[in-house]
Parts: sequence; structure tokens; C-alpha cells
Amino acid sequence: MDKIYLKFIQLLNPVLSRTGVDTDQLYQILRIKLIIDERRPKVMFAQRQNNKKKVQSPWFVSFITVLMGIFIGLVLFLNKMPYVGQTIYFSVFMVLMSLTLISDFTTVLIDTRDQFIILPRPVNDRTIAVSRILHISIYVLRLALLQGLPGLVMIGFIDGLAAVPVFFIQILEVTFISIFLVNIVYLVLMKFVSPQKFKDIINYIQIAFSILIFGAYYLLPKLINVSILKNISILSHWFSYILPPVWITALNELLFHHERANMITSLLAIIGLVVPLFGLWLVAKVLAPGFNRRLSIIATSDGSAGTPAKVKTEGKSGLMDKIANLVATDPVENAGFRITWKLATRSREFKMKVYPAFGYIPIYFLYFTLNGKGQSLAERWENVKAGHNYIILAYLCIFLLMAALSNVAMSDRYKSAWVYYTTPISEPGKILSGMYKAILVIFFVPYSLFWGAVIVGIWGPAAINDVLLAILVGIIYGILMALFMIKGLPFSKPVMIKQSGGRIVTTLMTMILLGGIGVAHYFLMKWETVIWIAIIPFFLITWIMLHYYKKTTWESLEMAEDL
Amino acid sequence: MDILLILRTNKKLSMSETPLIQIRNLSKFYGAKQVLKNLSLDIYPGQVIGYIGPNGAGKSTTVKILTGLIPDFTGEVIVDGISMAKDPQRIKKLFGYVPENAEIYDVLTPLEYLDFIGKLYGMESNTLEERATKLLAAFGLANNVNDRMDTFSKGMKQKVLLIAGIIHNPKIIILDEPLSGLDANAVIVVKELILRLAKEGKTIFYCSHMMDVVEKVSDRIMLINKGEVIADGTFESLKQNHSDTLERIFSKLTGNEHSGDDASAIINALD
Repeated sequence: MDKIYLKFIQLLNPVLSRTGVDTDQLYQILRIKLIIDERRPKVMFAQRQNNKKKVQSPWFVSFITVLMGIFIGLVLFLNKMPYVGQTIYFSVFMVLMSLTLISDFTTVLIDTRDQFIILPRPVNDRTIAVSRILHISIYVLRLALLQGLPGLVMIGFIDGLAAVPVFFIQILEVTFISIFLVNIVYLVLMKFVSPQKFKDIINYIQIAFSILIFGAYYLLPKLINVSILKNISILSHWFSYILPPVWITALNELLFHHERANMITSLLAIIGLVVPLFGLWLVAKVLAPGFNRRLSIIATSDGSAGTPAKVKTEGKSGLMDKIANLVATDPVENAGFRITWKLATRSREFKMKVYPAFGYIPIYFLYFTLNGKGQSLAERWENVKAGHNYIILAYLCIFLLMAALSNVAMSDRYKSAWVYYTTPISEPGKILSGMYKAILVIFFVPYSLFWGAVIVGIWGPAAINDVLLAILVGIIYGILMALFMIKGLPFSKPVMIKQSGGRIVTTLMTMILLGGIGVAHYFLMKWETVIWIAIIPFFLITWIMLHYYKKTTWESLEMAEDL
Repeated sequence: MDILLILRTNKKLSMSETPLIQIRNLSKFYGAKQVLKNLSLDIYPGQVIGYIGPNGAGKSTTVKILTGLIPDFTGEVIVDGISMAKDPQRIKKLFGYVPENAEIYDVLTPLEYLDFIGKLYGMESNTLEERATKLLAAFGLANNVNDRMDTFSKGMKQKVLLIAGIIHNPKIIILDEPLSGLDANAVIVVKELILRLAKEGKTIFYCSHMMDVVEKVSDRIMLINKGEVIADGTFESLKQNHSDTLERIFSKLTGNEHSGDDASAIINALD
């Protein structure tokens, strides 16, 4: 596949070499970059796969992209009213493409190694700049074609064969506009934030992206009423005239639905053709040069030790100090608490894996509770408010604890954990209990209290005891999970470690236990006093279990094999 | 083990009177901080320059300017008669560079990586592959030619970086801590290699904190501190004027003569 692109680019050689590009070097750089891309794990799918070394085959990634294309292509069939199907299609197309570009391609764009590998070699700036532009183009076109392929086929069935080449042009339009948008996002970010912050923000965009995809997958089918959508009249809203997907759709309306087209349609279609080209010109001529300069600043300010660039200083956190000394009094436990707190809130890898859970939980809640066929959204929400399902939300918060716990022992840089093994720690359980308390204090407890406050706000103070009990159950479940499944010091294991055999059984057992308590809680909710009383033994159990967790010995811990 | 034969070096260049590298009034600012202060130096062909200095003295900055990593500086850098400001690409062809931070595309295999680097210098496929294979074998990596480098140890990666720095048979070789991660045998090989390369007329710019190695391999030692050259000469001449080992000379000249006091302060802090 990549060979075809490279061959195609070689056709451009005469033009390129006239502008001062060394075409042989260009070919080599692109070839190596494409190889690296192919061997690089993709961010979008990285969460679901555990083994980091085993890179998914490019065919699998392509397959998923095509699948996505089929999924969004289905809306094309909503073509009874003008504009509807295609406008939705191209909006989703644009959002998906821009987000994939930002979340998956940023690492490629700011590959700081280029500074040390390519720049000292006799390669001129123009060659580097062109190689970067072509690399992006190849990536984007590949994405656009795979994602648009199902749509191309479908439109052939809907509007006839002639619509296929036109649709191809429309895909190019939407692609160019996406590139333009992404460039603007990058430029704005680079202009206003420091390189370090820039990477953090990209990290947060990636997290938001995964929440969005997750939410769309679970909630859109529940929220969207197809029969209403079918009859929506897009052009009756003034703002639709400034939406790029509407301009792009206009071309199809003009050519294949003359009967409902008018002057405005032709005008929009022309805008749709001109704006993407203008945007591309703007990117190439005006934005790209500044972009490359900023990019090299990001690269150099990061990798080079000698440059006295701004160092990110971490101020003393008074709050953390106070909490740490309060909940973890033992020095070893205190150390475990602080190291977990700091690494968990600073490591991008950990955030990428755990923070999406913040968004998944309310999405799951709505997915489980917003039921009722044929009712309007407001009616369904009234049903939720009338019932006692808030307990589901309170228990779903445990999901965040699970996500944090299952990642807290793992790190790409697990080798730094040698310190635990060279220092004379006789009771590693103290570090573990410090780690566990840190996770409770920074993630689970505040998050549960937040949703607890929301619950009490909506359902009234009768819910307070339920929220408290759910938090205690969560803490107990977390200790069980930590005892039997995590078995590692904070950030001390490689991302993939062999799962020991009985683990699935223990996971299942603890899950069943959690489910059982939850169901029992649900049925006992009617009696407020029962719940209040239940809090007492659960509190004691929590306290005793923490006590035993602190006694964990070296023998029951797993460590990396290649420290 | 004959890395030099593999490179098929040109005939030995005679020590000429014109310097190969001329640096005049080189200055560089990072914001308000001046890291290089009107640095001027001449380097002649066939010399091994030991370039030393404390952390933050401006060593890396000099190297980055010479290798074209930092294009904006004031002053003049002329290499083989070519001005860095005017034609950096022609100068880069003359240089081989082994960076300190060991950046490498580690999802590639050594052969793929070297093929890529060699082609950036415009080398022919056939010569390149032959040379890369032989060099890898000479460095003891014959069995890892087609393994991805993400499984390599630090020393193995360093060997690949060293090869990448000399594969195009450059006139000037810049080595920034080239021995890091290498085992004792590889260190001996590299030290021997440096001396032989110099004999062949190559100019070597050797940056390191390992004073004993610098002392042994360098014809000329330059000590830089706070952006200025504060000592320049053969090891012998430095010895006469200052102290008996390079380590002592270094600490005397960079204002840390009282290292004994520092050590006592450390000991005292532990009490």
C-alpha cells in the first residue's frame, strides 16, 4: 500500500526538484517514516490491547476505520429532506477525522528524534518541510479513503453511479477543511501555551476523544429519534449556512436533486469548492512556515539537556502535604502515598488510561437508566428521577477505582522502581497502603462525593446514607482487588506481565461479591435506618482490611523480571 | 576488526596550515542568558580535540552549532572554507555526528537505520549495505542485523549510533560522550579507532566528562567554562602550567579547586 504512495510521489519528482527538494532524500525519509508509522501502536486502539510489543497489523486498523465508515455511511440514506443525510455524514466525518489527526498523529508530528537524526545530516530545510507535508498528506488521504470508502459505495446506490465521483470530490473537500481546522488548533495551542503544556493538552484532547466515541456509541442510539431526524429542515436555521458540511452537501444537492435546488444551493456549492482550496493554500503558504518553526522549538526545548530552557517547576503542594501527613503517618506509608499521588497526576500514560473513566461513568449511568420505548427524553428522565436508580450511579463510581488500581502498578518506566528493592523495606505493605490511600484521596473519594452531591441534589437527603455505604463498599472492593489482583508496588511493573492462572476466578468472585452487596443494598434501601446501621459494620470491615493490607509481605508481590 | 579498511579511507591528508574549522567570535544567547561568549578557535586537520568543561559551560551548544542543529547564532563558523551561515548542507556532508542523548528510531533494525542514514548522505545502495553489514559485524552485532532496536541494550544502540556517525566516511567526526554504555572491550576498540582515524587524517572533536580518556586520546585539549575557552593546548603544556592530571587541571581552572572542602561539607551534612 505504502509503495503505491511512494511511487505516486516519485511522479512529482521533476516538480519537486525544481523547487529545491532533494528527491532521493525525500524518498528515503518518507519510506522510513511510513515504516515507523506501521510499527507504531495506535493510540485509538491502544487501550483495548494489553500487549504493547505486539503491534496490531495495519490491516486490522484499516478494517476498523472502514467499519466506522459503514456505520456513519448509514445516515446517507436519510435523504427525503434536502441536506439531512449528507450534512450529518460530513459533520461526523469531519469531527472523526480531526480528532484522529490530533490524537494519533501529534506524536508523529513532534517526533523530537528528528532533531538529532535528520537535522545533522546534509538535508536541506525544504526537503524536511516537504517530507513533513507529504507524510501528513499520505496519512490523511489514507484515512479519508478508508473512512469514505463505504460512503462511496452507498451513495452509488442512493443517487446513482454519477454521484460516486462527485462524492469523492466531496470527501476531498471535507478532508482539506479538517486539515485546515487541525492546523488552526495546533497554531493556537502553540502560540499560547508552553511546549510542555502543549503535550498535556494534546493528552487531554485524546482523553476527551475516547470519551466522546464511547458516549456516541452508547448514548446516540438512545437519544436520537430517527423519525424526527428524517424530517428536519436544515436550511431553516440561519447557522446552518456557516457550517462547512452544509456547503459540501450542496454540491450533491445541486447535481442530483435539481428539483429542490435553487440559487442558494449553487452559491453554497461554490463556497464548498472554494473554501477548502483556499484553506489548503493558507495552510501551505501562511501557516506551515510558522508551524515548522514552532515545532522545532518544541522539539529542542524538550530533548536537549544543555539548553537552559524553562524547566517545569513543581511548587510545594501544601494541601498534599497536609493530607499525606494526616492519612499516612508511617514514613514508609507516607512515601508510598506521595509517590503515587505525584506519579499518577503527572504521568501522561496513566492519565490516558484512567481519566477516560471519569467520563465513562455518567455515560454508563444514562445508558442503563434512560429506558422507555416511545417516550420522549423528558419523560424518560422523569422516570429516572422518580425511581431509586441513583444507586447505580453511586456504585458505578467504583469503576474509576478499578481503572486506577489496575493501572497504578504498571508503567512504561517500571525500571525506576528499583529503589523499592534496594532500600531496606521490611513491610512493603506500608507502601501499598500508602498507594491505595492516595488513589482513594485523589480519585475515588472526591469523585464519589461529587456524584454523591449531585444525587443528593436531585433525589434529596434520603440518599446520603446510600452514597456513604456505596463509598465504603467501593473501598472494600478496592482492597480485595488490590490484594488479589494488583500485587505490585506503584508503577513497578511493565505494562504487560504474565497473568497468573487463578486470577480470572478471583476477579469473578470479587465481582459477584460486589454485585451481591449492591443488589442487597438496592432491596434494603426502603428502610433508611437499616442502611445507616449497615454503615457501621462496613466501616469496621474497611478499617480491618486496610490494617491487613498494610501487612502484605514481599512473597505475595509480583515484580518485573528484568529490572 | 578493521573498521578503517571497511571505510576505505582516502589517502592521508597532510597537515596543512589552513585550519579546517575556524570559529570566530561565536556567541549564542538563550533569552537573556549568554551561553557562548565570543568564542574563537581554529582546528587543524588530523587533530583529536578533547573538548571539556563543566555542565552548562556551553559544550553542547558549540556542538549543536557545528552540526547545524542550532542555525541562529552570531559570529562566524567556517568549515573547509565554507561558511556555516551560507551553506550548512555542504558542511553537514563533511561531518559525522554521534549525539550524546542516544536518539534513534528504535522500531527499525540496525540495517534499516543505517541504510536510511547512509542514503541521506547520498550513498549508493550496494556500497552502503556492504559497509553497514561489515561495520555491524566489526562491532560484534552480526547476529542482530535484522533485530528491531527496541530490544537492544544501551551499549548496542550506542554501537549503532557510532556506526551511523562514520558510515559515510566523514572528514570530521564529532563524538559526544561516545563511550556511554559500552563495555570495556568496546571502549578499547573505540579508543583505538579514534587514534587510527586521526592518523588517517580525520579531525575528531571529542566531548566528554571522562578525563582519563580525554587525556589519552586527545592531541589538544580545550577547556571551556561559562561560554569561554579558558585553556587550550596539549596535555603536556597544560600539565606544565597547572597540575599533573587532567582531572586536577579541570577542577583548578573551573574554580573548584577546593574539592576537598566540598567533600567535607558533604560529610558534615550527614552528621
